[in-house]
Amino acid sequence: MIGPTNDPTTGATTGATSAPTASPTDVRARASLRATVPWLLLGAAWLAVVAGGMHRLWRYSSDPGPGAAAPAEWPAASRIGRAPGRATLVMFAHPHCPCSRASVGELGWLMAHYGPQLDAHVLVLRAPGTAPGWEEGDIGRLAADVPGVRVEIDAGGVEAARFGAKTSGQVLLYDAGGRLLFSGGITGGRGHPGDNLGRARVVSLLTTGTADRADSPVFGCALEDSKP
Amino acid sequence: MTTRETNMPTTTEAVGARADTIFHGHQDAIYRRVDKLFVVLMLVQWAFAIGLALVFSPYGWAGKVKATHLHVYAAVLLGGAITSLPLLLAWRRPGSVATRHVIACAQMLWSALLIHLSGGRIETHFHVFGSLAFLAFYRDWKVLVPATLVVALDHLVRQIYWPESVYGVTNPEWWRFLEHAFWVAFEDVVLVLACLRGVAELRTISQRQAQVEQLERDKSVALDEALVDLKRSHEARLRSEKLAAVGQLAASVGHELRNPLTAVRNANTYISRRLNDPKTAGAGAAAADPKVLQFVGLIDRELTACTKIIGDLLDFARERPPDLQPCPLRPLIDEAVALLPAHRARVRNEVPEALPVPSLDKDQFRQILINLLQNAVEAARPDREGEVVVTAEGGGDGRPWRLCVADDGAGIPPEVVDKIFEPLFTTKIKGTGLGLAVVANVVRLHGGTIHVDSRPGEGTRVVIELPLAAGQQAA
Repeated sequence: MIGPTNDPTTGATTGATSAPTASPTDVRARASLRATVPWLLLGAAWLAVVAGGMHRLWRYSSDPGPGAAAPAEWPAASRIGRAPGRATLVMFAHPHCPCSRASVGELGWLMAHYGPQLDAHVLVLRAPGTAPGWEEGDIGRLAADVPGVRVEIDAGGVEAARFGAKTSGQVLLYDAGGRLLFSGGITGGRGHPGDNLGRARVVSLLTTGTADRADSPVFGCALEDSKP
Repeated sequence: MTTRETNMPTTTEAVGARADTIFHGHQDAIYRRVDKLFVVLMLVQWAFAIGLALVFSPYGWAGKVKATHLHVYAAVLLGGAITSLPLLLAWRRPGSVATRHVIACAQMLWSALLIHLSGGRIETHFHVFGSLAFLAFYRDWKVLVPATLVVALDHLVRQIYWPESVYGVTNPEWWRFLEHAFWVAFEDVVLVLACLRGVAELRTISQRQAQVEQLERDKSVALDEALVDLKRSHEARLRSEKLAAVGQLAASVGHELRNPLTAVRNANTYISRRLNDPKTAGAGAAAADPKVLQFVGLIDRELTACTKIIGDLLDFARERPPDLQPCPLRPLIDEAVALLPAHRARVRNEVPEALPVPSLDKDQFRQILINLLQNAVEAARPDREGEVVVTAEGGGDGRPWRLCVADDGAGIPPEVVDKIFEPLFTTKIKGTGLGLAVVANVVRLHGGTIHVDSRPGEGTRVVIELPLAAGQQAA
């Protein structure tokens, strides 16, 4: 690296002997810096890529789907049988949505703690244009394993449309009189089980009849085909 | 004793330096080994994450339309990204500080990713604690710092932007991330103590290894020295036996030759006298042929030479213990100078008058002085008058006597210096090779040592050192 060089300002050639001689320590320090800089740049790029990826994943998990525009009164046309004298909880679920496992899990928690007060239904979607059997999957099986829960097939998404549900994991809670108490999700994120606001509000409504809010974000797959 | 005391700190320092080298070698080996361990671990984690995503969330759905789930992309791409830099560093810069710190950060990022891919299952959070334990394999507590910071930062950011994902409530107290970090720090404390203890043990092992190596080295050196001594003494014994045999033979031959030689010499002296006497009939013959007297003189000279050779042989062969008597050196040197044959050098006796008197065998020492001085004057260069200086010192204040005979002659070639005291070795045309052997023998019998320092073209110094015991014995 040290040798005759052209001075860009004068065009003159200067030799290493005419320049102040660098000490061996300086030379080593410069060589060390030259060796380190690419690694620092690589490290910074790595950090940026990983941080970006984490952020994207995080955003996906915390990005709710559209909530339901549910009727304030239990729709009379609904084919879901409502038990008299008890609150009715309806969950709409996509049969293959991996995120909805957490929703079913939270429903299981609710049923374990407040099952006697609830008449729970899980409506597993059979999307329009799909053959019978398409709806068979983990979600239906998991829901069927929850004591006190009735699993029904929502052929063509008729009930989902009736209740305005658009996202898998959508929960609607109607009181014994058929009035809508709550509409939202009961997970804290996509496929994220554990304590969350939606579940807490359902519990509050079941135990005290009131909650700070009657809705919460719903995390799950879309129940309807995406529009082109 | 003095030498030993001087060397002890040097040995301790050498052992300490070696222990440091061993310690750093072990540390580097550990760093490299654990780097490799994490390379394998990260690849396994990557494969596991991909498998997890493919099994549990292969597709995202919108009605009946499916698309590859983001978790699959995250496992493949983000997992690959997290793994890439540690892999590259472990390959290109194994054992370096940067490598293990990046690995520490990456491992904790893997915890975050796996927790995410598993849907935040509480069981997956144990990956954090397992990872910290793995990092402690480095026995470098400092790697736990960036790892803990990554965990704390992850929790802090989540607390600010998505508290439900870790705490299950929307408005946790500001210090909640510290509560989570505390349990990580709790494990850190245990692991830091384990790391420090591990390093201390490593240092102890290195110290012991260095001490053992030093011990082995000392033993090896001592063994080598013993072998050299053994070889030397074996050679000396062989030489001594050989010389003893030669000595006996020489003594026998010398003894047998001396009497006839004396008779021949007497006869020759008689003939010479008669030839030189003008009254005898032989004088006429001598006058008629001048070569007669020349040959008679030649016979006398050669008989003298033969007598000297026999004398040297007998001196060398009949090793007589010295008869030690107080003997002032200066007059003894004057006597030796007076007995030298004709020569072309100037001899200066600079031995101090007041030199303490050593105890010597006067006859033996006179003989060796004659031998040394004769060699010195014969070494004079042909182009100038030589100068031989005899000096002496010591003998008082516990110092040994040092007698030095120095000349400014041609010097001794380096290749023969080591051989000049060997019997029968000579570079002179008429030398017997016994003169300096006799000198060395006599000095040895007096308990002294002899050294030669010669520079070709400049001269030679022969130094005889006599122990103080000789003087004390005399006193």
